[in-house]
Amino acid sequence: MAAGANEMKKTNRKYRYGMVIDLDACTGCGACMVACAAENNLAPAPAKVTDRTSITLMRVFQVKEPAPMPARKTAFVPMMCMQCDDPPCEHVCPQQAVELDPRTGIVDQMVQRCFGCRYCMAACPFHARYFNWFDPEWPAGMEQTLNPAVAPRMRGVVEKCDLCHGRFHEAQDRAAMEGSDNITYQPACAEACPAQAIRIGDLNNPDDPIQVQIGKPETFQFLVKLGTKPKMYYQSKHDWVKRLAERDSANGNSNRRDA
Amino acid sequence: MAASAIKPPLTAEIAASERQWIARGLERCSPLAFAGWMAPWLILLGVGIYATYLCLRYGLGATNLDNRFGFGLWIFLDLAVIALGAGAFFSGFLLYILKWKEIKAVISSAVVLGFLCYSGAMAILAIDVGQPLRSWFTFWHPNVHSMLTEVTFCITCYLIVLTIEYLPILLKNRRIKQVPSFLVFEWELHKLIPVMAGIGCLLSFFHQGSLGGLFGVMRGRPFAFREGFAIWPTTFFLFVLSAAAVGPSFIILTTKLVEKITSKRLVKEQVYQTLAKTTGVLLTAYIALKSVDTLIWLNSTSFNAGFAPWEYYEWKPFGGWILFAEIVVFGMVPALMLLSKRIRTRRGVIVLGALLACTGVVLNRFVMTIQTLALPTLSFDEFMTYMPNWVEFAVFGMVIAYAVIVYSLSYRYLNLFPQEKELSAGNVEVNDVPVR
Amino acid sequence: MFPFVDGFHWTFGHVLFLSIFGIVLAVIAVTLLVSLRRTARESKPGKAEAVRWKSEFHDLTDDERRCRHDLAGRVDHRHCHNEFDCRQCETHPKLASVTAAEFDFSTYGLDYPMDRFYHRGQTWVKRESDGTLTVGLTDLGKRLLGQPDRVNLPNTGDKVFANGRGWTASRGGVEVRILAPVDGEVIATGGPDSEFYLRVKPLETNPNLAHLLRGQEVSGWVRAQLEQLQILVTPAGSTASLADGGVLMEDLPKAQPEANWDKVYGEMFMAP
Repeated sequence: MAAGANEMKKTNRKYRYGMVIDLDACTGCGACMVACAAENNLAPAPAKVTDRTSITLMRVFQVKEPAPMPARKTAFVPMMCMQCDDPPCEHVCPQQAVELDPRTGIVDQMVQRCFGCRYCMAACPFHARYFNWFDPEWPAGMEQTLNPAVAPRMRGVVEKCDLCHGRFHEAQDRAAMEGSDNITYQPACAEACPAQAIRIGDLNNPDDPIQVQIGKPETFQFLVKLGTKPKMYYQSKHDWVKRLAERDSANGNSNRRDA
Repeated sequence: MAASAIKPPLTAEIAASERQWIARGLERCSPLAFAGWMAPWLILLGVGIYATYLCLRYGLGATNLDNRFGFGLWIFLDLAVIALGAGAFFSGFLLYILKWKEIKAVISSAVVLGFLCYSGAMAILAIDVGQPLRSWFTFWHPNVHSMLTEVTFCITCYLIVLTIEYLPILLKNRRIKQVPSFLVFEWELHKLIPVMAGIGCLLSFFHQGSLGGLFGVMRGRPFAFREGFAIWPTTFFLFVLSAAAVGPSFIILTTKLVEKITSKRLVKEQVYQTLAKTTGVLLTAYIALKSVDTLIWLNSTSFNAGFAPWEYYEWKPFGGWILFAEIVVFGMVPALMLLSKRIRTRRGVIVLGALLACTGVVLNRFVMTIQTLALPTLSFDEFMTYMPNWVEFAVFGMVIAYAVIVYSLSYRYLNLFPQEKELSAGNVEVNDVPVR
Repeated sequence: MFPFVDGFHWTFGHVLFLSIFGIVLAVIAVTLLVSLRRTARESKPGKAEAVRWKSEFHDLTDDERRCRHDLAGRVDHRHCHNEFDCRQCETHPKLASVTAAEFDFSTYGLDYPMDRFYHRGQTWVKRESDGTLTVGLTDLGKRLLGQPDRVNLPNTGDKVFANGRGWTASRGGVEVRILAPVDGEVIATGGPDSEFYLRVKPLETNPNLAHLLRGQEVSGWVRAQLEQLQILVTPAGSTASLADGGVLMEDLPKAQPEANWDKVYGEMFMAP
């Protein structure tokens, strides 16, 4: 729309967006969940929605240390789509409604093509995918608050975190207008986090500040052994938190509470 | 008074004209008794149609499915029904490719059962997906790497094949075959049915396999994930083999059930023996391979994925008993029962063996769907259970009712069991008396 | 799936996958089209009757398909695979010359004159001196139908074909088709009270009647038929006799009204 005289320069640079989340900084306030829901035009949940049928593209889990009470510590783990480089959801989708964008490294869900078979949900080990069990409905007047950059989803399709694709597109347009080759943006969750625990960066760029974080010894990823190559990194200086990474190294950590 | 005088001849007239649709020489119950049998199934069908309406009108929120159990009762039963319906392709394979003439006695019934199993499964799938009207997208934008694409293509083609195989049986109806072109079409189609049987085998091999592959490829679910050959995980081959193994057993069970309900003999004992033996041989092979596969998975695949395999069986109610039941109680036991001629020829053993074999494969499909999804993946995950609600049961009941209704109509008006006439003639053939 | 669909690109997977399914769909379509085309070709009146007979013969049990030479005792356990048309059978001439073992010829009190040829659909054919053929119901056939309520004969000038529909008769609300034993053009019709049912002019000057039963075969065949009839008419568990003083009763439906005559006619007249 803002094209015209300014010739948009198309960049061939390939991005691989990833995030580093500092679990030691996370207070479990849930601001990221709220910002995510607002950014992505999630309809208010109908009365009959339960914890298991709601849509929380970003979800903060509360995890308790398996230790006796006075010493027991608590960690909050924000979980969303891990934007795997080898996404199991993409391989299983029968109609190519899931696509790993080679230009951004973001796993895109084409909701307008999805027919709701939910195979991708079964395939995802991170439970990062959500199904629209109900028709989305907004109370009268609330449609004024909708984000025009993100299309609301209809009932019967699967959706998930797309690293605020709307924001990415805006940043892309902005960069093109400026003739820049550097697309930087903040997803809603990272922007909203009061503790600045969520950081996004380009994993392809060796100069990106995120590389320093990834290099730190306290950085780990969840379920790496499954071989899905997630692009979301987590940090904690506590051993018991780091042990959450793999299932067999974290026996006893199985009591989970949602924040 | 006049009405009561007219009434008896009227019902008799209805019975007589209805008789014109029933093959000559076959004994069938009166139209009234038949209506009585159909009534409860029609009610069940009605309830299911209402539940279907709820799902299509208000979305799948009407069910108890949730984000963790995206696959629930429906997918489990679809898999079970398709495995049991494998009798259609496998008996076709035995009859038309291996030329086992005996199978002719049950092939029509097997085709009808296969058609019902597959069309019923397709109907449930159409309700199970969130946007049924977009189902054709799979043909427009197929992801050729997805097992589900393979399943969709194969099942669609196979349903067409089954419909074509059903046609000659339908056209053989006493009244329908009076129309010369229908009769000729039946005859010409009948001559080409071996081609359809061959295509059906190819399609069945791939989709039965792909249904197994569906779970075997889920690297994100180490409970289901299996390594394999090329693009096919071992579950691909195990599903093919187990479906082929229980197909004949399901034919035995349904035929025995029809015999029980109608109190008639429909199929010679020798045919049951052949079918039971087939199940015995294939089930033995299946259980042997399944055991090897389970050992490899427990000792290597699962560990490599970062999952201690014993942990899967720590979650109640899914204890180690489920593995034991699947492999020993519903696997080795029926395999031995049906394999050994000495045991198999005893009274009642065939039915029990077939029942155990079918239960085992249904249990396997349950484990692959429900247990896979119930088990936690992340270290702070919860083990979750799920209970289907009435809508899910009603929709499944609808498909059962549909199958019973269509099968009853087929049994009544079509000649599903060619040996029925001979066996109901009142005499027992000399070569058919069980020799002791 | 199609190159013009947005975002489509050919890969090896696409080529393999889609060509396999293309072949499968093509085979299914070709099979359907071939059978439809053949149907269109074979649906003409005369041909349809031939197909009907083929289809019905296909469904007969082995017992019902006993070879005429088996019936005559010339050979053991031989079943027909030629739709009872011995004119096409290669083995028939060889077996016909075999002298049967000692055989007690009898038609069990039924009247089967030996100047006639017999068809398994309970009809006989007699060569008349003028070169025409007369066709009628056998003694067993007559006893089975008794006095038919209605007989629906072809019109003169109509053609009948061996093993095709000859005429229909109904008795007690059950209609049964009687197979024509020979090919020919109907030149006169009779009926239940006449000597014959049809008089036909054969399509060839010297018609081949090799497919019809003669001599000893008739005896074996009648015997087999009577055994089958006994089973069909006798209610399970009883031993009702069809015979009245050693010979089959004249009007069987009258004598055994409780039997399933729909079934009996179907079996005895080969009209499934």
